[in-house]
Amino acid sequence: MLRFVDARYGGVAIALHWLTVVLVVANLTLGVSMVPLPLSPRKLQWYAWHKWIGITVFIVTCLRLAWRKSHRPPPLVPMPDWQRRVADTSHLLLYTLLTLIPISGWLYSSSTGVQVVYLGLFPLPDLVPKDRTLATILKWTHYGLNSTLFALVVVHALAALKHHFIDRDGTLTRMLPVEWTRSRRS
Amino acid sequence: MNLSRLARLTVTAIALAAPSADAQDVMVDKSEIRFVAKQLGVNVDGRFRKWKASVVFLPSDLAKSKAEFDIDLASIDLASEDSEKEIRATLWFDTAKFPVAHFSSTAIKDLGGDKYEIAGALTIKGVKRDVVVPIAIRKDAAGNRVGEGTFTLKRLDFNIGTGMWADTTTVTNEVAVRIRIVLPPAA
Repeated sequence: MLRFVDARYGGVAIALHWLTVVLVVANLTLGVSMVPLPLSPRKLQWYAWHKWIGITVFIVTCLRLAWRKSHRPPPLVPMPDWQRRVADTSHLLLYTLLTLIPISGWLYSSSTGVQVVYLGLFPLPDLVPKDRTLATILKWTHYGLNSTLFALVVVHALAALKHHFIDRDGTLTRMLPVEWTRSRRS
Repeated sequence: MNLSRLARLTVTAIALAAPSADAQDVMVDKSEIRFVAKQLGVNVDGRFRKWKASVVFLPSDLAKSKAEFDIDLASIDLASEDSEKEIRATLWFDTAKFPVAHFSSTAIKDLGGDKYEIAGALTIKGVKRDVVVPIAIRKDAAGNRVGEGTFTLKRLDFNIGTGMWADTTTVTNEVAVRIRIVLPPAA
């Protein structure tokens, strides 16, 4: 096991990963909680926060991708070929969704005629004109992409836990901020 | 040239001979009543799909000129059906009880340079307030007379958005109302 411990992600990559976890979990929760609310000032406030968090996810994901380009992630621990392929595909899909979902939300907001003003300070341009048919399509696109993301995040987390507790390899610890395992560098 | 001038004079003469206080048809498809309010720092605009206007506009006889508007408040066009439903409800327009907003001009002032000031009474939700609407008039390519202007009303003056919506940090008290009225060429 010791040989995997050094093959950890760098501090920046780890920080950005867990920041994404917090933002995505918060925003999925906020998203499903705010939609059924009757229209009220609270609902509007939650929508605003949801949009701000979403744009933040987009920014963080861009930073991660840029960082990843110049800092190769550590190689996967030894595992069967099919698992490696599934892991690579799901990581690619996760990055794709983390980029597309905020854009789909931004598009949706534009199509309802409500401009996104990031943090209440920075107005983002409206990507499409107000159009009710388009808004309906974009709403379900946003919902569909998020359902996919949710499913994928569950699989991603379960796979990490499976590697940690069943395979007992270094998959999870290489993304943890501190080395939890007994196999501290020795 | 002479002939056309003669023709125009004849038309003017006929127009003057006709009962001059007749309302001129507002070209509704070219006209618009829109508004913008700020919601949590975001401009949210909308418009009314259905309204009626009766306008008599005689630059040479402003005393006889008059503008009357009836706006079907339930015909509001907002961001979503959800928000339209809410705005028709009791806290906002309460359109079941107050379906129509009414504006009736009391005085029209010539400010020069095709700019006018229309003073009048605006009634929404049973509350009547005096408003002044500045209007600039220009001609479009087809010779139609296009009157445009913006004025600001305070929604809380009319009890629009009460209760949980009264807090102006969510939706501003000031609502900018933008009007474009297109009249056919002067007869």
